[in-house]
Amino acid sequence: MSAPKRPRAPMPLQGLLGMVLVVALVIVALAAPWIAPMPPNEMDLLSVLAPPDGYGSPHWLGTDALGRDVLSRLVWGARIALAVAVGGAVGAAVVGTILGLAAGALGGPVDWAISRLVDLWMSFPPVVLSLLLVVALGAGLGNVIFAIILVDWTRFCRVIRAEALVIRQQDYVSAARLIGFGRMRVILREIVPGVIPTLVTLFALEMGIAVRVEAVLSFVGMSVPADVPAWGQMIADARSSMTSAPWTILAPIGAIVAVVIGFNLLGDGLRLRFDPRLQGRS
Amino acid sequence: MTTLRVIAIRFASALLMVGLISLLVFIVLRQLPIDPIGMSLPPGATEADRQALMKEFGLDRPVIEQYRIWATGLLRGDLGQSVNLRRPVGPLVALVLPATVELVLVALIMGAVGGVLGGLTLFAVRRTRLELVGDVFTSILVSVPEFVWAIGGILLFGVWLQVLPFIGRIDPDVTVPARTGFMLIDSLATGSPAAFWDALLHLILPASALGLTLAPLVTRVLRSSLLGVIVEDYIHLARLRGLTERQVLTAHALPNAALPTLSLVGVQAGFMFGGTLLVEVIFGWPGLGNMMVTAVRSGDMPVIQAATLVYCLGVLVITLAVDLATVALNPRLRTR
Repeated sequence: MSAPKRPRAPMPLQGLLGMVLVVALVIVALAAPWIAPMPPNEMDLLSVLAPPDGYGSPHWLGTDALGRDVLSRLVWGARIALAVAVGGAVGAAVVGTILGLAAGALGGPVDWAISRLVDLWMSFPPVVLSLLLVVALGAGLGNVIFAIILVDWTRFCRVIRAEALVIRQQDYVSAARLIGFGRMRVILREIVPGVIPTLVTLFALEMGIAVRVEAVLSFVGMSVPADVPAWGQMIADARSSMTSAPWTILAPIGAIVAVVIGFNLLGDGLRLRFDPRLQGRS
Repeated sequence: MTTLRVIAIRFASALLMVGLISLLVFIVLRQLPIDPIGMSLPPGATEADRQALMKEFGLDRPVIEQYRIWATGLLRGDLGQSVNLRRPVGPLVALVLPATVELVLVALIMGAVGGVLGGLTLFAVRRTRLELVGDVFTSILVSVPEFVWAIGGILLFGVWLQVLPFIGRIDPDVTVPARTGFMLIDSLATGSPAAFWDALLHLILPASALGLTLAPLVTRVLRSSLLGVIVEDYIHLARLRGLTERQVLTAHALPNAALPTLSLVGVQAGFMFGGTLLVEVIFGWPGLGNMMVTAVRSGDMPVIQAATLVYCLGVLVITLAVDLATVALNPRLRTR
């Protein structure tokens, strides 16, 4: 069974730009051992805080306060960023979508309970909540990802619930029910496909948010252990030397901004591409 | 249902929320790996000392009983004692809260004004080539986190150009007698324009770091609701009546496009209140965020508890205020 052919909307410019940035992140993260010029934690104590220059210095982007190569740390940090982005977004999407579908598709007391839970959750400012969670769970990559999931599932839940509520009213869903399909089947086969475009968009945006949150947590000293080269950690390390050696802080900040922009542009592009209401309007 | 009843219901549900939040905060914070007894005991204390102190703090009773004690204290305005500073938490919070509120308010104004200007500009260039540029530009602005604006601002205006201060609320040489705790008000009330100017300069970088995260969102929502409104019949009619484009925009399009923008600002203002934590840490701003981070690092439970609660209350108050404003401004919400 194939869907009726409809002229395929091209991926908008934003989306293409975003895709390029995201693909670059994935390549750098996967190929880190081969790309990075030196080991990320190797200290070159003879050239501490060396400025970036292209004149024969082995440190293209300079070194930090411990003489570690900024470029190498940046490259290895891409792995943490990718892990946090994928882990956080997948977890938040799974939890949020299941609860959102349950609320939107089942309705009644289930919907009421889940909606109140979301309201309650949302009264905690995200930064405050993630800080508390990481303190409670302890530092470390896994716990940071876990904290991001616990904080951000509401983003998925709210949107997916609203979407499921709308889809539930559609005639084709009523038809499926009248044929006598079970509740599970109606949700999985009729409602889930309808929310997938929204889910994909949210997922891209959430990956960007996860990268930001990791940086924020590192900033207040509550993230991965100090010997793990993560971008947030680099910012935290560079705070004391940022006035005399701005490259130590500009490099990780540039990387974070580029990656977050990449995910956001991709999300925007996907939204424009999938949302029929936005098509044909420019 | 009358407007009054709608407002009463919103208030009642907000109050219920406060109760639930305080319970949640209390239970969640019990899980933190912090041992207030261990930190309060002198070195060489015996197990008996420990038991005595547990009893004194009431930590030997069940959690629900502990919550009841804490909550009744809260109702009387008693937030407990700071473990590290050995002072009541309530006055400590009252001391730092104005700094945070001042920062949020200024940031909110900057973000809203900037966002509305941006939205109008993007609307003005609709269906031109500039629109795509504007779109990509706002997409990029949305992606930049507040701490990046903060650090960028410090590096550019504080370190390189050296035109703006970036540490604290006011120059250490300038003294402003504390009355309300709001620097801008206090300095004016004591009639010292120099201090007012200094406080304002100190606000620029942190407030714009926060405001810049709000502005592009406002821009987007305002633009898209303007695009939605502008095709309505009453706009067409207004044009036929011979109103200029400017009159159509200010008298008919903007008031109708304002509501979605207002509710977005409400949600974002709540987030922004939490976002101050980070900005305060970066700028050494003596507000709630710095107090909380210090308390987290030193494991000062009553302070963490109070700060978390105040953050949640702040979000709730902002949400409620915007909710009420929306009800007041939107006739369609009044009679339902």
